[in-house]
Amino acid sequence: MADDEKSTKQVIQLAEICRVEGHAAVDVTIDNGKIESVKLNVFEGTRFFERIVLGHKYDEMPHITSRVCAICSTGHVLAAIFAIERAFGFEPCHRELLYRELMHLGMIIESHATHICALALPDFLKTPDILDFATKHPVEFDTWTQLRKLGAAIQTTIGGRPFHPVNLHVGRLSSYPGSDKLTPILTSLNNHREMAINLANVVLSLKPPMDKTTETSYLALVPRGDHYGYFGSEVKSTDGWHCSINEYKQYLSEVVVPYSHAKKSSSRGQTFMVGAMARLALFGDRLGEDARAIYQKSPLAAGSKNTVLNNLAQAIELVEAIQRAIRITETLINLDNADKMVEDVTGEHSDFCHQPPFVARAGESAGAVECPRGTLYHYYKIDDKGTITSADMVTPSAQNTARIEADIRVVVEEQMGKVSENELTNNLETLVRAYDPCNTCATHMVQVKFK
Amino acid sequence: MTVKRKPNIAVEGLTGCAGELLVILENLDQLLPYVHLSRFPFAQSGNESGPVDITFVEGSVSQPHDLEKLLKIRKESRYVVAVGNCAVWGCVQKGSCQNCSARSMLEAVYGKDSQIEILPPSALDEHVKVDVKLSGCPIDATQFLAVTASLLKEQLPYITHKPVCLECKLHENPCVLIEKNLPCLGPVTAAGCGALCPGLGAACYGCFGPCEEPQMAAMALILEEKGYDMLEVLNRLKTFGAPAELFERMTKVEQK
Repeated sequence: MADDEKSTKQVIQLAEICRVEGHAAVDVTIDNGKIESVKLNVFEGTRFFERIVLGHKYDEMPHITSRVCAICSTGHVLAAIFAIERAFGFEPCHRELLYRELMHLGMIIESHATHICALALPDFLKTPDILDFATKHPVEFDTWTQLRKLGAAIQTTIGGRPFHPVNLHVGRLSSYPGSDKLTPILTSLNNHREMAINLANVVLSLKPPMDKTTETSYLALVPRGDHYGYFGSEVKSTDGWHCSINEYKQYLSEVVVPYSHAKKSSSRGQTFMVGAMARLALFGDRLGEDARAIYQKSPLAAGSKNTVLNNLAQAIELVEAIQRAIRITETLINLDNADKMVEDVTGEHSDFCHQPPFVARAGESAGAVECPRGTLYHYYKIDDKGTITSADMVTPSAQNTARIEADIRVVVEEQMGKVSENELTNNLETLVRAYDPCNTCATHMVQVKFK
Repeated sequence: MTVKRKPNIAVEGLTGCAGELLVILENLDQLLPYVHLSRFPFAQSGNESGPVDITFVEGSVSQPHDLEKLLKIRKESRYVVAVGNCAVWGCVQKGSCQNCSARSMLEAVYGKDSQIEILPPSALDEHVKVDVKLSGCPIDATQFLAVTASLLKEQLPYITHKPVCLECKLHENPCVLIEKNLPCLGPVTAAGCGALCPGLGAACYGCFGPCEEPQMAAMALILEEKGYDMLEVLNRLKTFGAPAELFERMTKVEQK
């Protein structure tokens, strides 16, 4: 490119991205055909949760931090509970963990169904609004409605309401739904197994609107047990290392960037990705048969790192979530029925959990869960009265920010001049949306300004 | 001869957790036969600008951008409905801000040199006239549909703010405050949830905001008698945005 030519600055601006959870904008500045900068600006209002919780008691953490985000409120509640229990040196019993896992799967089902059907699919179906979507694509609309309701029903049964659950606490649930409440859940899960598989096959047939995105490493929690899952206390990287989550400050660095309200993360100096694609890349071999069948014929199994395939990764996880939830629900129903038989004979109600309750004490720990969008960390320091004296939260969307910017750069480089400006803007939106960024809800039309 | 048009509605979010947007999205199939969805950027890309009949606004005013948006919404809407605790009371971001300044929070989380523009978190009616306030965290779907149905008939809805205790009595729940000594805020919290927490054996933590004429001093006294530290009690009572003036009388009593 000749230097003596007049500088022609070009700005690609996605002023406010719709159909994502959060207020976010993208600015790409191009000078003389070269990309000068890529900025993902998250301008969601800040609420300072790390400061809000100070001075409150440990038992308030689940319900205060669930307000970070409605759609992954269950994840925040569980991350807070795990962190505090670890600080107290308390290990919840097996059945407690099964209830929590079922609750978490309810969130995965609801969140993935909403992202895949209502937020991501309209790009591929070219449908501009909800009414158009509902009337012209009734099958997809109905799939979304039914799967979302299934996820909500699971969370309501265990958590008390579809989000911002009230039944989950440090130590234990305040009330355990028995077989009478779990049986309708089991029926509904079985009824929707086929529907989730069909949805995953639909998503499998969609072609990403770009050939490639950036190379990256993936990070995810090592799931407890030997199945695919979302709880763990150790993180693993595709770069070959693993580490306790208590060391998260060693492998994650968050920096504040002047143009955005979201902190930007890197892992050992590199951009990385968390979420469904990362979990599948690391633990795809643990999937149950339904999900494995789809995974194995997908480009994901062949190692593709195209970010738009995150939609497919979520669809595969949805299938897995239903199959795993069926197993858990069956187990919990059987356990509850066995308890009732014992009660019939002895005439006494006994608590299924035989371990002593937790003792609140001074301590500090991180806790983490795999949320729909990736690893969520909570960290608390607690004094001897049970009061929170220090807190930290690292959200999945903040971890992905740096890679989103890197991906945008690659796609603009690849497509600039080859596709229309309108198409490029649409493709960038599809790309950002594939991350399912959770900045909490965006506004109006995307404005594209080519200067 | 004019064809009767469907009323235009809009759904907007300021600073919050998107919970109300989610409740509205989940109940949209019941609204669509009766309304034209003019704007709902969380859920669709094809959004219109211009005047609407009803705008449902979620979230608190926490930054200049929120305020600009709210003023525009007020100008363009016949009815402004504040939905959710954030919009009605200011929720946790306001509740905890009563103990320290917004600036100090900003510096604690983003560093001293942060350029982020903020406003002290506030409810919608601290800035504009709000026609209907429907609290909840999240709002109750049935209440939301009832409010919308009233407004579509040009009636301002009747929303009660009786305490959660009333719903507990109706459900015949055992009292977790009296029987289990849990720090239940039901006596000073607005009902509407169906006494969800006490129904499950847990303490109400006040997420729907204060009930009508909440007796904060009496509530605090009961909890203090049960062995809870007064500072802890005040923290709990203020968490979900109960305004400072509700505690004025209490401070006076304490000073005597």
